[in-house]
Amino acid sequence: MNDMINLNSQRASDARLGKLIGKAGYRSLLAIGAAAAAGAIVLGVTSGARFALLLASPALLCFLPAIWWKRQLSVLPPQGTDLLSVDVLSRLKPGTTLNPQTMWAAIQDHWQATFFTNHLLLGKDTLGTSLSTNPAELEHALNIAHELAVKNESPTIELGFVVAGLLLASEPIKQMLVQFKAQPSDVEAMANWLGRNLDEALFAKRNFGGIGRDWAFGFTPLLNRYGQNISLSITKHGSHFGWLMESAGVRAIETAFDNRTSAVALIGPDGIGKSSSVYALAQRLIEGEKTTQRLAYHQIISINATDITSTARRPGDLENLMINLTNEASHAGHVILFFDDAQLFFSDRPGAFDAGQILLSIIQARTVPIILAFTPNDFQRLRTTNQSLANLLTPVMLQELPEAGVMRVLEDHAVGIENRNKVLVAYEALREAYRLSGRYEQDEAYPGKAIKLLQQAASHTEHDVVSAKSVQLAIEQTRGIKVGTAVAAEADTLLHLEDKIHERMINQTHAVGVVASALRRARAGVANPRRPIGSFLFLGPTGVGKTELAKAVAATYYGAETNMVRLDMSEYQQPEDVSRLLSNGQQESKSLIMAVRQQPFSVILLDEIEKAHPNVLNLLLQLLDEGQLTDVAGKAVSFKDCIIIVTSNAGAQAIRERVEQGEALQSFQAEFTNQLISSGQFKPELLNRFDEIVLFGPLQPAELGQIVALMMREINQTLSNQNISVELSPNAIQKIVTAGYDPRLGARPMRRVLQRAVEDTVAQKILRGETNPGDHIMLDAPDLAV
Amino acid sequence: MLVLSFFSWWYGRGWKQVFDSFGPRLKNIANAFSVNQLTRTLFAPWRRIITYPGATFGDRLRAWGDNLFSRIVGFFVRLAVLFAALLVIVAAAGFTVIELLVWPLLPIAIPGLIIAGLVA
Repeated sequence: MNDMINLNSQRASDARLGKLIGKAGYRSLLAIGAAAAAGAIVLGVTSGARFALLLASPALLCFLPAIWWKRQLSVLPPQGTDLLSVDVLSRLKPGTTLNPQTMWAAIQDHWQATFFTNHLLLGKDTLGTSLSTNPAELEHALNIAHELAVKNESPTIELGFVVAGLLLASEPIKQMLVQFKAQPSDVEAMANWLGRNLDEALFAKRNFGGIGRDWAFGFTPLLNRYGQNISLSITKHGSHFGWLMESAGVRAIETAFDNRTSAVALIGPDGIGKSSSVYALAQRLIEGEKTTQRLAYHQIISINATDITSTARRPGDLENLMINLTNEASHAGHVILFFDDAQLFFSDRPGAFDAGQILLSIIQARTVPIILAFTPNDFQRLRTTNQSLANLLTPVMLQELPEAGVMRVLEDHAVGIENRNKVLVAYEALREAYRLSGRYEQDEAYPGKAIKLLQQAASHTEHDVVSAKSVQLAIEQTRGIKVGTAVAAEADTLLHLEDKIHERMINQTHAVGVVASALRRARAGVANPRRPIGSFLFLGPTGVGKTELAKAVAATYYGAETNMVRLDMSEYQQPEDVSRLLSNGQQESKSLIMAVRQQPFSVILLDEIEKAHPNVLNLLLQLLDEGQLTDVAGKAVSFKDCIIIVTSNAGAQAIRERVEQGEALQSFQAEFTNQLISSGQFKPELLNRFDEIVLFGPLQPAELGQIVALMMREINQTLSNQNISVELSPNAIQKIVTAGYDPRLGARPMRRVLQRAVEDTVAQKILRGETNPGDHIMLDAPDLAV
Repeated sequence: MLVLSFFSWWYGRGWKQVFDSFGPRLKNIANAFSVNQLTRTLFAPWRRIITYPGATFGDRLRAWGDNLFSRIVGFFVRLAVLFAALLVIVAAAGFTVIELLVWPLLPIAIPGLIIAGLVA
């Protein structure tokens, strides 16, 4: 450590002096020096050389230390192994006992330390008391800081790197970070973020070509009127695309144009950064030195389809305008045209504007470089509608950034969000935006979807801080789902889920318990996020409550019974039926894909799975494994927010017999499952993929009475509109149970019997005028015609 | 200690910095005056204001004349700017030389000016 910090060195002493003088001292020295110099000049003119010379001396006495401060003391270049930045050195007094705590105490007031504590939501005092007093730990921290400086190509170990080193070298702090749902890697990412900001501040002054940059190029009045000059807007507003200028996509476009390609198709899904890449390319070109001589100082002008179509008054106007714009660009000699959302220029609707032929001839003539931005689907469509044009384009595919890259983009955007909204964006918010947008925004690519979510979160701040909770609130508001940690009331519902489900379902306590546990796991965030929330195989006889439990789950977990997609798998018995399930909806109404796309937060109930074709079962394997399916057009649809319930009557007879013999369901479940596999009814790989296999036993006579009571509650709810209520006597209930229960069909005929017996009887009474609003009808067994 | 530190910087790294600063200063001037661009395109037509040749000999001759005029205009404008850049570079170089020469004298000048003032 002595190598890295020597508080008695000349450099350390200079650093302390520099801090003592400070910017205020420097300005004061300059002001006094300037006043003395001015005085010397005046005296020289009015009173002769004597006083002028005497006053010039104090002027110099002020200017010389000011120069020293500006050029040396305020920057202090590194010397040998003495690499600590002036900010750190100047804050350490000689004789200080050096350890993490004293180091923190010395540097905590600097903005770079605040940058870490604010973004990690850590209290400065808490941090100070959690740090060790062991000097060896400071040495470890400084080594980490040195590594971070090397990684960020910083000649000195900046104060922020020392802070990161202190955090990363301390075990208690690392544990504290975990408690705050942060990770040690976040600290390193923040150090790199800080490194980029420092780098940008250092190279803020950029060269955009000087006075005669455009003199060899033509004027572009028409393009200035109808297009947006991205390059000039960068030179005016000083946007900075930093590392994106070196990205593979930007380099690929540059290389293509340098190799005299006339047109580039920039292909990538929405949100992947097509426009940002073009902006970064514009900066690269307008800075001149970064690119080849051929492309130096070229300007990118964006043409917007809506803007130019709105100017057309007569047929042919648009075509003429397009020709004039491209002619002007070609003549100017330094223009690259950018057509964002290029598919808008290739409309095949009757009467709509189609620039396909004009662009084809321009690209063939190779007179002006063009960038056309497409989504993969739009480019595919162009290939089918205008193959000759598509063949002339050099495709540049933009790849989705890895997590570290997306986080880097989010960090850069967070600065803008903080400045615009006057808020603080905590680092946990960036992580949460990445995580939740990945899970819930399927229609857009990274980093666009994460940026959008982070921007939305800025309107859900708490004490002007955008936190992970703000991001959760943003997605809850836009998607109508619950993603945050369960609040007290909801936690109570989850803890008593079984009771809630039993309010509408009789018995089947084992099945209800298994499903409720799975839902609790999902809501508490301990389930695997890459698979559906829960997947269950319900086995048992007909009419024992399998579908009812699925409905209860939809109502309890998603808030409404209607949040259920139900498919009868007996309709998918042919191999070609797989495509019906995966249809993107234009041809097939019973498409699983479309149902989930419209209602991503649903119970998916697949009835009678044993009747489906094996190809359908293979599809189910993929769904349970990956939590997603791909439609016929190749677009993925997520099932990660769904609960998959598959029902089957396979082995129903065996279940009934064993329960009637007095065996408990759990006692023979394993044996029963093995029988299903050995009999070839289910493949082991399918059964293994379900979270739970749930056996449903046949209903007992006592439970049937309770079911009648439940159904009566529904009937009374319907009649409540007319202010009439109905009640059944015990004899009447017994009569309905006897008539409605069928050992093969379970309680299924019960509803029909109840309808016939009760609803018909009440209807007749109403029509005969025997019952009026406000009446309570008591029905006994003889009243019912069953 | 303080004075020693000041003098060791002033006559060491400080003096060298004056010399080293000439390179970036030169580069800034060259960039501001677009020296590279203007040299490369010295004979290019001014802002590409050019005439396209027609079919007849007269049209071709007129286009040639117009374009020659555009190039001449461009040449003189660029030459003027390059000349201005050269002047600024010479001035900057002169300033740097003076700075280099005066630099070591400045600390001595503080007592020197007082003495000179008292003597005068």
